[in-house]
Amino acid sequence: MDLVPIIGALAGGLIAIGLSIYFWIAAARGGRRTQAVFFLILGLVLIVVSAGLGWQKLGPGNPEPLVVAPRGPVQVRVLTALPVEPWVRAAAQRFNEGNFRQDGQPIEVQVIAMDGLTALGKFDRDDFGALGNRARADLTAQELEQLTTNFPTVWIPDSRYLVELANASYKERLGRDVFLTDGEYRARPVAISLFTWGIYQSRAAVLDKTFGDVDWQVIHDAAIAKGGWPELGGDKAWGFFKLVVPNPRRNVGGLAAMIAAAGEYYDRTNISVADVTDPAFQKWLGELMGSLTDVSGASAYTAEDFALFGYSVGDGGQLLESDLLNNMAGIQTRWADPLVIRYPKYLTWFDFPFSIWVGPETTAPEKNAALQFEQFLLTPEIQKLAVQQGLRAANSEVSVTDGDTLFTRWQSQGVEAVVPRTTRMASPSRDVLLALLRWFDLNVGQ
Amino acid sequence: MKRQQTNRRPVIATLAVVIAVLALCCVAAIVVLLPKMRATETTSGPTTADQRSATLTIAYSPEKTALVKDLAATFNARKLRTPDRQAMSVELVEMTPEEMVTQALSGQPAFQALTPDSSLWLDQLNRRWAQSQTQAEPGAIAPRLVGEPVRYAVTPIVIAAWADAARSLGWPDQPVGWSTLQTRAQQDPSFKWSHPSTAHASGLLATLAEFYAGAGVQRGLTAELAQDPRTAAFVSAVEKTVRYYGEGEMAVIQRAATDGPKYLDAFVVSEQLVVAFNTGAFGQPPADLIALYPSEGTLWADHPLALLETAEITANQRRTFQALREFLAEPAAQTKILNAGYRPADLNIPLDSPGSPLTAANGVNPAEPQTTLQLPTPDVVSVVQNVWALTKRKTNVFLVVDTSGSMRGEKLSNAQAALRTFLAQIPSDQERVGLVEFNSGVTNIIELDTLASNRAVLTDAIDTLEAGGNTALLDAVRTAYSRLQRQADLDRINAIVAMTDGRENASAVSLRQLTAEIQAGNQDVPVVIFCVAYGSDADYELLQSLADASGGQVRQGTTETIRDLYKILSSYF
Repeated sequence: MDLVPIIGALAGGLIAIGLSIYFWIAAARGGRRTQAVFFLILGLVLIVVSAGLGWQKLGPGNPEPLVVAPRGPVQVRVLTALPVEPWVRAAAQRFNEGNFRQDGQPIEVQVIAMDGLTALGKFDRDDFGALGNRARADLTAQELEQLTTNFPTVWIPDSRYLVELANASYKERLGRDVFLTDGEYRARPVAISLFTWGIYQSRAAVLDKTFGDVDWQVIHDAAIAKGGWPELGGDKAWGFFKLVVPNPRRNVGGLAAMIAAAGEYYDRTNISVADVTDPAFQKWLGELMGSLTDVSGASAYTAEDFALFGYSVGDGGQLLESDLLNNMAGIQTRWADPLVIRYPKYLTWFDFPFSIWVGPETTAPEKNAALQFEQFLLTPEIQKLAVQQGLRAANSEVSVTDGDTLFTRWQSQGVEAVVPRTTRMASPSRDVLLALLRWFDLNVGQ
Repeated sequence: MKRQQTNRRPVIATLAVVIAVLALCCVAAIVVLLPKMRATETTSGPTTADQRSATLTIAYSPEKTALVKDLAATFNARKLRTPDRQAMSVELVEMTPEEMVTQALSGQPAFQALTPDSSLWLDQLNRRWAQSQTQAEPGAIAPRLVGEPVRYAVTPIVIAAWADAARSLGWPDQPVGWSTLQTRAQQDPSFKWSHPSTAHASGLLATLAEFYAGAGVQRGLTAELAQDPRTAAFVSAVEKTVRYYGEGEMAVIQRAATDGPKYLDAFVVSEQLVVAFNTGAFGQPPADLIALYPSEGTLWADHPLALLETAEITANQRRTFQALREFLAEPAAQTKILNAGYRPADLNIPLDSPGSPLTAANGVNPAEPQTTLQLPTPDVVSVVQNVWALTKRKTNVFLVVDTSGSMRGEKLSNAQAALRTFLAQIPSDQERVGLVEFNSGVTNIIELDTLASNRAVLTDAIDTLEAGGNTALLDAVRTAYSRLQRQADLDRINAIVAMTDGRENASAVSLRQLTAEIQAGNQDVPVVIFCVAYGSDADYELLQSLADASGGQVRQGTTETIRDLYKILSSYF
């Protein structure tokens, strides 16, 4: 395939010289020589081009072309956390249809769904193939193709602390951040969602009667009831109390839930490695996690599972508000037992920062195209779309109660537009996260 | 001047011809070389064309063949294209979940996406793949080979029982659980039940339930509890009541459709198969099946669909995956899924919507299950699988092998390979296997013994089989049958796997005599006969009579499929 331009240019050159000779003969019969000279020059130019291409392709030290000509639109590959993926995907579709351009080229946004923790693992292991200390020009055509096809331009993880963890990893490796915290390309939240309790109404009524307000201690006490639901005052057919917490190996929401549980256990917002490794806390957490239905790691245990498999897999748990809101109607249709929402004392939330990769792996047009997409996501119209999907808007101009939204629709089930409590858990350190994951592996399962 | 010009004309003309010829040569070179270059590129690794491929090959588990084929055909009929105009298409390859895991780990899978019956397999794949990678530090985030799965159809695992059998277990007034089934099977020798091996999600669930019951807990099953001798003894006692195992739910339900209640009283399958059975997907049902949702808890077959995150995945294959994912979420596809008896992933579709087959009339209750069994950690699951392999009901099996003249050549050599595969597929040396070789009469008998003692003897005998003579099939089957009857080993599954490629023409015993003997003998010591009709000349009707008399089955094999067939048959023991 690569020889075709060379042979083509050579053929064109020869034909042009042939024509030049024809016109030369014609000129001898009284015609003009201008055409002969024109075709002669054209022919010589084409032959020189052919020779140049041939040298580049076949000459010593040039096994691969130095540059790959830009093809098609400017690609923006967005690695997106699962809770916002439907919204980002819908926004990307509108954006792609909106004739947005960068440097005259159309922009195409491609959304790749990936849990934040999985993506962090890939960054940690350099699975995407960062250049390190190599320059783009040093890459072979195949490497460059791989880079331009696979390397994410943008990462929208669940939480800002995942960005900080990725930066910490790259700082160790490259001596610089790869996602910026200030300046034009800084990571900016594009939506927000809180962690809330979601409990099947029939079960919540029993817990309310037995324990009062639901919190982690109540859930712990329900989890360790040896006689299961009958002991708590519930139906025998419900079996044991079953807690729903995302598997932290599969869904970063699981880590957030464990951090919130630790916050309540210690009644403070900052959790250290010493807290996580405290035997008394580990015993308490172990008892709590003993009520998980599936500790095999086979299920991510998202709100989607909670809805799809109903009360058979979980009576209640702490999950992302947006996920719960999106499944409220479906749960009612499928299981004829609605969910109630309760807000915990210690709040954790995800802020979904739009983080543009600033390393040389992405080109300037790609970065600027990504910036355009970020601005598009923050427009009131697209932020309203986020609210329609149960997310809280990052743009303060957009209210969650403006019109018929999931927040207004499910107020009767406990949804609050403004959460009065302000106790917010601090972002955990990498060591705390790893300690929690390690504890989970050793005591609960992968 | 004119003369000079006249003299130069031939030179110039010749030059013009030479240049024209050169130009033509260049054009010809393009025409000739281009296809060759393209051909070379196709055989030498990834190319631009490969990198743009939008064809997605999906491995699917066999129980959902009809649904998956239907959905893929509808998707392909849409003729969607990627932004660079590549045709999006889905190709399918049927595979057991275990094979999917093995192929994916080999690094050369024949598929880019997979949809097994349960997420359990994706987890196993991820764990095994992560173990093969270097892990930087304890607690570090393990790499995963499988991308984010999506679900389009789910179905709970149930105990399927004929309506009469269900009533005898207490349905619908009393809760029916794993313990009800296990107690009944132990107390009533005539009660026949079965579950697939732990290689299937439904088999694994049934086995886990036994371990929970044996350990006396309903959650928190640990490796220590699973390995406790008392647990193992309980599981062993329950497993002795299992009629025989099998290759999966599909084979069991098809057999139930043909044989009705005489086959089994109860068996473990997915709810969807109960619906499909009662709605006539396997023919007119001989009686109604009822889905019993175990009171201790069940498990869900969640049929995940996921991409394998390998470097070979193209951007266009991702686009096809995404398009397929969106297609599967559409109301039309979801309704199709509901109509097939699955619970659709779209929660907005009510299970009791008009036309839904998930009704009490079809033996199911959409408000169930109320609770699930706790699925233990992967390590405990592995222990359960291993302990089950040791405690499961053991087998006495005779291989009856035709070496008549018609078996000469490729037929015999492929049969030998199949027999070797059969032996290799039975890992436990505690199983007892014997062999009866026949042609004009019974020519060689290797008596039943544990594989620990006679694996090598059997292998030698198989390697030295020689074809010649007539076909005394009935005498050979009788030889094996009488030996199994003499053993009278009720603790084990007693079975004969009889293979022939021709017509019976040399036995002393008649078919009528032999079937009468089998029916009488099976009253005390049940012996199941699996018959293999090898090639197109085998006497299928005779083999069917033998199978029917013993509660067994006939399978057809060819020189191409005989090896796989014996592999499948080995899963029954």
